[in-house]
Amino acid sequence: MATLPLSSSGAPGASLEDELRQAVGAEQVLTRPEDLFVYEADGLTHHTARPRAVVLPRDKTDVVQIVKRCRAHGVPFVPRGAGTGLSGGAIALDDGVIIECARLDRILRIAPEDRFAVVQPGVINADLSKAVAHHGLFYAPDPSSQQACTLGGNVAENSGGPHTLKYGTTTNHVLALEMVLPDGQLVQLGSPTGSAGGYDLVGAVVGSEGTLGIVTELTVRLSPRPERTETMLGIFPDVVSACRAVGAIIRSGLVPAALEIVDRRTIEAVEASVYAAGLPTDAGAVLIIELDGPAVAVGRQVERCQDHCREAGASEVPVARDEAERQRFWRARKGAFGAMGRLAPDLYVHDAVVPRQKLPEILEKICEIGDRYRLRLSNVFHAGDGNLHPNISFDRRDPDEMERVLAAGEEILRTCVEAGGVITGEHGVGTEKKEYMGLLFSEADLDAMRKLRAAFDPDRMCNPGKMFPATRFCAEANPKARGYDQVPFG
Amino acid sequence: MSAGVDPWQAPTGVGARELRERLRAAAGPTAVEEIDGVSLEGARLETRVRPCSGEDLAGVLQELNTAGAAALVRGGGSRLGLGHPVPRARVLLETAGLAAPPIVDAEDGVAYLPAGAALSDLREHVRKEAEGRWELPLDPPGAGSTLGGCLAAAATGPRHGPPRDVVLGLDITLGTAERTRCGGRVVKNVTGYDLAKLYVGSLGTLGVIETAWIRLRPSPERREVWLAGLEDLAGGLASSRRSSVSAALWVDRAGSARLAPWLGAERAGSLLVVELAGDAAAVEADGAALREEIGAEPVPEGEPLIAALRDLLGEDRGLRFQLSSLPSRLSATARRLAEHGAELLVQPARGTLVAHFLLAPEEGEAAVERAFRGVRLAAAEGEGRWRVEAAPLEVRSVRDAFGEDEALIPVFRALKRVYDPRGVLGPGRQAGRV
Repeated sequence: MATLPLSSSGAPGASLEDELRQAVGAEQVLTRPEDLFVYEADGLTHHTARPRAVVLPRDKTDVVQIVKRCRAHGVPFVPRGAGTGLSGGAIALDDGVIIECARLDRILRIAPEDRFAVVQPGVINADLSKAVAHHGLFYAPDPSSQQACTLGGNVAENSGGPHTLKYGTTTNHVLALEMVLPDGQLVQLGSPTGSAGGYDLVGAVVGSEGTLGIVTELTVRLSPRPERTETMLGIFPDVVSACRAVGAIIRSGLVPAALEIVDRRTIEAVEASVYAAGLPTDAGAVLIIELDGPAVAVGRQVERCQDHCREAGASEVPVARDEAERQRFWRARKGAFGAMGRLAPDLYVHDAVVPRQKLPEILEKICEIGDRYRLRLSNVFHAGDGNLHPNISFDRRDPDEMERVLAAGEEILRTCVEAGGVITGEHGVGTEKKEYMGLLFSEADLDAMRKLRAAFDPDRMCNPGKMFPATRFCAEANPKARGYDQVPFG
Repeated sequence: MSAGVDPWQAPTGVGARELRERLRAAAGPTAVEEIDGVSLEGARLETRVRPCSGEDLAGVLQELNTAGAAALVRGGGSRLGLGHPVPRARVLLETAGLAAPPIVDAEDGVAYLPAGAALSDLREHVRKEAEGRWELPLDPPGAGSTLGGCLAAAATGPRHGPPRDVVLGLDITLGTAERTRCGGRVVKNVTGYDLAKLYVGSLGTLGVIETAWIRLRPSPERREVWLAGLEDLAGGLASSRRSSVSAALWVDRAGSARLAPWLGAERAGSLLVVELAGDAAAVEADGAALREEIGAEPVPEGEPLIAALRDLLGEDRGLRFQLSSLPSRLSATARRLAEHGAELLVQPARGTLVAHFLLAPEEGEAAVERAFRGVRLAAAEGEGRWRVEAAPLEVRSVRDAFGEDEALIPVFRALKRVYDPRGVLGPGRQAGRV
């Protein structure tokens, strides 16, 4: 095992911060309140915790040093990418240290013939696709935040995106990982061929929300750009009809690259914003369908999808005439969250998954829940995967509204679980949903997960306080997090 | 950890008869049978137990924990030669009784399937229940392969990708005898750790799979098999990567000779067999491209040829290894293996090679050493990994069957200790003899 020795030891009684400065350089360690402020939350803005310090490693050796020093002081540490996550997974509880991977941002190797790339975890998702485009390749997982989110963060959350339906999530595209284990040892998991002997540790680490170690290098699969891509827009009188079209397309055996629904309230918000895409504001919902593949096949698949949409009640199903129009269709989808910013100061982006044939009934229930709690709830979601994103626009300064937001959120999750679904499809559990894990899993099921954690990190030093309900492991509760203890959980 | 050293607590001294009585109490009288004296995988087995439900399975594992008795877990038995021997096993734990009725959701394209059922039966059941619209994307070699065995071994065949990609959720009883569930029935899910990835390919050393949610694949509109004589493996890579390719295997001269009954006598040299499946227009276009690129011709009856290739992939002759290689280095990897006497089947698009080494009795250990040396060199050449898929017991008793990085063995060991602390499930079978 490649174990890197401590390069220096701090003076007796030296603080952790001093030792970190000595190990990686003073300019790489942030401790001033004004510097720490931006690290108090990730995209889930109502869960906050101020870290003890933020350290910015420049290479894997720095990461090893940081982890070893934190361990020596008994201080937990949290890996962080761009902080775009939506489940509170990248905040440091228990006065922990954030290891910010933004400076590990180099693409180390591109192997076009073998269709893989080796990158550091701070590389921005979209930048990788840009870097390999001239080889006719792209990196398939494309979360909505792909212009900002990092590949290391994507590994932690097993990120998906609109094109998951055909291409899968991050776990289907990670071939190998280099990571620093919570005890400071540097290990290599998997291989560039995607094959490994023994247990599938790459599979276990992807989606582990940064609780099993710090990834310092990723080898990811690159996909060939499809020969032809067609994007169309189904215009529906209501969201239930759009869901029925999705069901018909799935049943028919077609596998579009994306099936995304935008509901009326979102359309209205988008059309009133800088993301305006020319969507009909009198439509109940639009369904964005993208098909890609061999040129000879895609044309006929477009016709089949159009037929399914019309049969489900679509008034029109225009196909993008050129790349500019295709981008306009997608602007409505990808700009939706930004457009919501006009409606209220805060946006709670929920994330749950249901069996796809249950989408029509669940959508009706979710809208009813939103209305009953007097909330501005809109839906924009990955319909092809059954992955819902009920978005609640609110103002967290209003305690009554905050309470209704959380109560509605819990009811939505319960409704999805009762329908055979799960509580998160791509955002992760983090701090946001850890107390809801019991909706889905028994104590034995959770214990099985704790076993994995125990094998990697028996002292729970790496990103503690995430994923697992606090009821069992009191040590992982978060009494110190500023403001967090005021958030009521079901 | 060296071979034969038992890292777990010693058995409590429960005798075979008493253990059988306890197992009968847990799983029912008809589920337990005395088989004293049967030798399998280096173990002298006393008892066979075949639980018929998850509850019974948990009861059996509880008793094994109490007695400190280890089990050899067997599905269809087609991949028992994968991994290291399990000399400590006293009990043969068969999963064939775990055969709850399957559920096929043809609306959503998912199925809930019992681990003990034969894949051939499940394949047919899915086809029938889904009225031909969906297919089960698992096709490992082995006539009696069960779903549980296929998942435990992460076994693949000519078609489809690795099982890890289609498992949505699992019901699994851990080595601790706890009945647990991971994942779910939906096609996208990040709720908690992705434990299914850990269990698939674990060779049943962490838990015994009871049922699985599987993502089905739409049945192709059209399926065709094409064949080309192709001595140069590198020349087949582009063809193997065409969009509608569902299976592509390059077979060396020796392999093609074994396929003669399905090929006709005129085929003598190395071959590339390509199956195209999917949209009819795409299949037609790719067929035309194969003809132009490598002079391929369609095979009138493709299914028997694919079945023969599947059998060839799983054939037990001498030593069988599976290796991976970067596609760009496949030719060099294959050449290295051939220099060391391997017969080869290569899946170029996947970057996998199956190498058979026939062992001449007069060569003895030298032939084994030559094979292992060749495999190690070839895997290094291809930046890949290797594992023994089948080998005589005496070979696997003394040689590493995985070639995994030594640095990871402590992690494997830690996993074994938390999921199966008493070492009742195939102790020693995994990489590092974990």
